[in-house]
Amino acid sequence: MRKSYVRIPVYTGDVSGFASALYELGGMLVIHDPSGCNSTYNTHDEVRWYDKESLIFISGLNDIDAITGNDDKLINDTVSAAKRLNPRFIALANSPIPYLNGTDFEGICRIIENRTGLPCFYVKTNAMHDYTVGASGAYLAFAKKFLKAGPDPDRGNIEAKASGANGKQLKRVNIIGVTPLDYTSTTIDVSGRYDVISNWSYGTDFDSIMRSPEADLNIVMSSCGLAVAKYMEKTFGIPYQTGNSYLELPRGKSRNYIVGEPVTSGIIARKIKLEYGMDFNIVATTEITDGLLSEVDDACHGEDMIKEKIADGVRIIADPLYRVIAPPTAEFIELPHFALSGRLYLKRIPNLFNLEEYYHES
Amino acid sequence: MNDVHGAVLSQSAAVADCRFPKPFDNGLEFNAPVHGTWNIVHIGYEIPGAHQIYICADNCMRGVVMTAAEMGELARFSGVVLEEDDMVFAGRIEQTTIEGVSDVLRSLDSLPPAAIIFPVCAHKFMGCDMEYVYRCLEERFPKVKFVRAFMDPIMQKRGTSPDVRLRRAMLDIIDEQPVNPLAVNVAGCDVSMAEDNDIRKLLADSGCIVREMCCCSSFEDYMNMGQGRLNICCYPAGVPGVKNFSGRFGRDYIWLPFVFDYGKTQTGLELLAAKLGKSFAEDKEAMKNDVESAFAAAEKVIMDTEIALDYTAVARPLSLGRFLIEHRFNLTKIYLDVIDTDEEEDFRWLQANAPGLVISSTVDISGRVLRRDNAGCLAIGQKAAWFEGTAHFVNIVEGGGLYGYSGMIRFAGLMEEALLEEKDTRDIVPRKGLGCASLI
Repeated sequence: MRKSYVRIPVYTGDVSGFASALYELGGMLVIHDPSGCNSTYNTHDEVRWYDKESLIFISGLNDIDAITGNDDKLINDTVSAAKRLNPRFIALANSPIPYLNGTDFEGICRIIENRTGLPCFYVKTNAMHDYTVGASGAYLAFAKKFLKAGPDPDRGNIEAKASGANGKQLKRVNIIGVTPLDYTSTTIDVSGRYDVISNWSYGTDFDSIMRSPEADLNIVMSSCGLAVAKYMEKTFGIPYQTGNSYLELPRGKSRNYIVGEPVTSGIIARKIKLEYGMDFNIVATTEITDGLLSEVDDACHGEDMIKEKIADGVRIIADPLYRVIAPPTAEFIELPHFALSGRLYLKRIPNLFNLEEYYHES
Repeated sequence: MNDVHGAVLSQSAAVADCRFPKPFDNGLEFNAPVHGTWNIVHIGYEIPGAHQIYICADNCMRGVVMTAAEMGELARFSGVVLEEDDMVFAGRIEQTTIEGVSDVLRSLDSLPPAAIIFPVCAHKFMGCDMEYVYRCLEERFPKVKFVRAFMDPIMQKRGTSPDVRLRRAMLDIIDEQPVNPLAVNVAGCDVSMAEDNDIRKLLADSGCIVREMCCCSSFEDYMNMGQGRLNICCYPAGVPGVKNFSGRFGRDYIWLPFVFDYGKTQTGLELLAAKLGKSFAEDKEAMKNDVESAFAAAEKVIMDTEIALDYTAVARPLSLGRFLIEHRFNLTKIYLDVIDTDEEEDFRWLQANAPGLVISSTVDISGRVLRRDNAGCLAIGQKAAWFEGTAHFVNIVEGGGLYGYSGMIRFAGLMEEALLEEKDTRDIVPRKGLGCASLI
């Protein structure tokens, strides 16, 4: 049955994706939820919680407030908290019961904005999707709320750009879709090729993100970043590139599979193709896949579908928790993914910005 | 209290100014990265061989499935995800629940003796007919005992919390058996009795066959709790379940919380002895003196070190707080969010005798930004350790299996040890379910 997960866990959910994406941007994030969302997020889906402050809270919704549609409690509590903590902005996320009730979050945001004078926006989550949907929605809502197409005296002005080691002017880029859910490192190795304007959004801050419209190019490092890259292309005319342009390198049909998030998988598949001449096909197991797969790749959701797809696998690169549904005859190459196995293999997750480390250890 | 930005923020109050039983208003809630307490997944695994099945949205599933994964117990855990269509079409949520659970059970290598089913808040709000669901499941799988649990945190503040309900549901599957006059159950708590626990000693001296719900050796052993002549509960969250279990078969029941009070401890042990058909012959003055000696020794080491304690360490934090103050320890703060009504007497005593003692919330939003730099503090409990930022803490939950005079003596030793030896707070407190396997 598509909805049953007998042996493997689900991916990090959309609410956690929302929180992870906005973690370092100075806002106050409120998840309208009874309990559990915050604990789940900070325990299993967030490596920064113990050491790095971020204003992420739940509303503590109870049954009576849900039944009677008492939105005033959420509004009053949020306004009160904002006055105490003085965040840069407020973002709200949804969970199953307010979703079921049809809570008017857009209206609630307007009231909160009026009462606090702070920007407030809603990210459409309902806890029924994976993290890519939540993070993607968070980036897009943030961009729509804050990014402005101001005058850009530098775009096209080669003199204003930073220079690389060979004196060549560097392209200004935004790195988009980098959260600890997909990446363990904030060390972005762009080998002197780019001038990184902003990093969405690990090891970053609000001010650098606000400079994003200055960039010449957006590099989408996970499916979480695709929607906002498309938005910036449409709004500011900034083109985007997907990962290491893995889709531009043809890969043949193969029984070698990389299972996981499509962009990170694609980056690895391209690297392997270039280094070893081997074809690996992507089995994309997270939700956002449109425009991120080639004709040899597949989107698979749910345990049964994934199991069926990789049943003929010869080599499988995947999180260790997939081993139980992989064919025993396949060569299984472990690639722990925080958004699936959480803290279990945290110390073994390679730095995807430096794939050589991974190859040498494998 | 100051936050890292220098503003005055904290939701703390002197005990003299606190309301009873809820000292603080509800608002937005913070969750500290401290997870040593047991959740419903840990508790469910107390039934040997049982398979847990959660029917919920992705994000809700994530917390429980990863709890199981970190315990190395994914083989006894499955989920059925709820999606938008389950919230829209009449009858769909029942269908998804029935077919999803059936699919899980059919996919296992062998049927488990028991399946713990966790529907969620959405089932309640959709008016899901769970009786119909269980009728269908029991018809399809007559050999499986279905434990009727719930993961409905929306009831956390006003009704029966999920862990209390689970403890009861886990006992509901036990069938009545002929009474074994030697059989005694200790149920409703998650931490096994310490070796020198006074209850354990008394039961052993009486020749009892003791079954602890949290550590039965097999499913059969678990079901043999139906033979018990007496049920003992030591933890508040277990009381409704153990009471109900005892009432179903007309078996005797006793509530013996770990308190730091000589009178109540003595009364509890005498009552237990009476139920076992004995008299409690120990010299209570001698035992009291042993406790006093233990705390006097601890005091010589701890001296005027600042002490903070939290509600996760012991079920009766105010009883402990009162005892420490009566024994001249420098207790300055108690972390809790609600006061057990059974602790009103201790609360009033603290108001009268230690009015400046600070009561501090663990869920208030200020917890996110407070300074945590009280490294010299001796904490009792993981939350107190994290909030104070100390490596010196007594690392127990739910009373740590302690009880009675021996429990108090052991506790004094734990305080002394905590002061003398640093612990790795960063490594310890984010781990879930203290005492459970942790693969991280």
